[in-house]
Amino acid sequence: MSHHSWLLPEGIDEILPDQAWQLEQCRRELLDLYASWGYQLVIPPLIEYRDALLTRTDQALSLQTAALTDHESGRLLGVRADITPQTARIDAHQLQRDAPTRLCYVGSVFQARPGRLAGTRNPLQIGAELYGYAGIAADCEVLQLMLATLQQMGIEQVHLDLGHVGIYRALVAQAGLSSEQAADLFGVLQRKAATDLMRWLTEHHVVAPSRDMFLALVTLNGAVDVLDRARDCLRAAPPAVHAALDELAQLGEGLELPVHYDLAEARTYHYQTGLIFAAFVPGQGYEVARGGRCDQIGAAFGRARPATGFSADLKALLFLGSMQKVSLVDTILAPAETDPELEQQIATLRAAGHIVIQALPDQVGTPQEQGAQHKLSRTARGWVLTPVTDMQ
Amino acid sequence: MTYHQPITIAVAKGRLLRNTLPLLARIGIQPLVVDMDQTRKLILETSQAQIRLLLIRATDVPTYVQWGAADFGITGKDTLLEHGGANLYEPLDLQIARCQLWVAGYPDTDTRIQRLRVASKYIRTSQAFFQARGQQINLIKLYGSMELAPMVGLADVIVDLVESGNTLQANGLVPLEHICDISARLIANKAAWKMKQATCRYWVDALQAVLSSESA
Repeated sequence: MSHHSWLLPEGIDEILPDQAWQLEQCRRELLDLYASWGYQLVIPPLIEYRDALLTRTDQALSLQTAALTDHESGRLLGVRADITPQTARIDAHQLQRDAPTRLCYVGSVFQARPGRLAGTRNPLQIGAELYGYAGIAADCEVLQLMLATLQQMGIEQVHLDLGHVGIYRALVAQAGLSSEQAADLFGVLQRKAATDLMRWLTEHHVVAPSRDMFLALVTLNGAVDVLDRARDCLRAAPPAVHAALDELAQLGEGLELPVHYDLAEARTYHYQTGLIFAAFVPGQGYEVARGGRCDQIGAAFGRARPATGFSADLKALLFLGSMQKVSLVDTILAPAETDPELEQQIATLRAAGHIVIQALPDQVGTPQEQGAQHKLSRTARGWVLTPVTDMQ
Repeated sequence: MTYHQPITIAVAKGRLLRNTLPLLARIGIQPLVVDMDQTRKLILETSQAQIRLLLIRATDVPTYVQWGAADFGITGKDTLLEHGGANLYEPLDLQIARCQLWVAGYPDTDTRIQRLRVASKYIRTSQAFFQARGQQINLIKLYGSMELAPMVGLADVIVDLVESGNTLQANGLVPLEHICDISARLIANKAAWKMKQATCRYWVDALQAVLSSESA
């Protein structure tokens, strides 16, 4: 076999011993955390019909979703690039509850093209979603759960970025832009390129007051005073804009970490509808966790329920966090003998939580190489534990 | 509020750097080297203790800023169009190193034919330009001396920056279709912009003030 065939594809990684165990510990602790908040675990499939994986409007997601043909039905299957639409499908079709539904998930996703989530193409996506409640209390809860996630992982110096897609949507409606124009203008706003924005507005005959409001939008980012400035320069904006500003103020209230407000921000415009948030940490040039409201996500599945949630790459969180190294239990090496008394002893030790490796007959390798700190030795008093010394 | 968080600025080497330094000097940022043309250093300390400059190739500037290895970058709009601009803000048009991106070729060239052969180093930008009007083209990636391609029959037209038009003229070529205006831009990493908001805002405002006073 040439070495090209066992190397992993570009952007695909795997987790090896020690780190894998550490990751598993984190996974368990986070799922326990979500369970304690009432979030129920779901395990959607890695592969399903491609149409079901794509929310109707998200073109970026469509490019990220790899396809293959189902030999059984002849239909096109997709490898999920994001678990969020799957949970929306579950909420809309499998559960069909009227009360608020809290779901959480963790699983591998595959992104056909690198670019999101820091270059990796197989993130281990972890997240939570709250369906069926349109009020800000749901946004606050989900944001708090995201922050609790980062805290649990030992990630410090978290900076929060808050935005509200409703502001841009209301201004687009006021200016009477087509959905194509709105997407185009969105790209310019995302770059905060003031001169390009001015040119775009002139070319597309966007006049005052809409023109001035779009121009103001690129400058409306910074500390909490942004909200006051926004109330001033978006005074004549539709009521939805003012409602959005109130929601932003409420969401940011009482947060004890650095908060940055950005009214022109929206990560995936086609997807999100209301309050959005992202966490950043110093030294990382990209967001480490993100979330927000996407009320229309269930529409593709025939039941648009209010929805808000967050997600992150668990592998990235592990890498950033300072979670204590898992203190591994002592490893005990048992000799390759068949003795009922020894078997009993091994079973007792394993049941007590110890790691017991039974040697294989005539195997190679010292006890140290097998990671053993103790070994079982036969004495006059039966089988006893003795420390592994360098001499052995 | 503190304006003194450390900032790294990636600057494209060469002509762009020579045009940029006077601008930076006006907001009090001067590299601490005697002879800029002689230095082989890649990281320059400046008169502002918390600010350092990285000297890199123009095409690498967006990459450094995108991944947060630099907080700010200064590079041409042509480079940004080609890069795609993911994870970047473009808060300022520095209005220096101005030129234009053109489709160029022999004066009698029909640029509307299907499967037009286009030679360029601007692959994405060329594709986007012709795609926008529904024209299929064959792209040929070149790294320099574009003018040669139509002359030896490698391509029908080229897509390249035009400053004075002298090189085109000297080789019997003319600008055919204007694609866009190009100038140097200040770009910023999104995460840095959010986490060092006061510092970023301070330097951008300072530059903005200099630019406004110059255009006034």
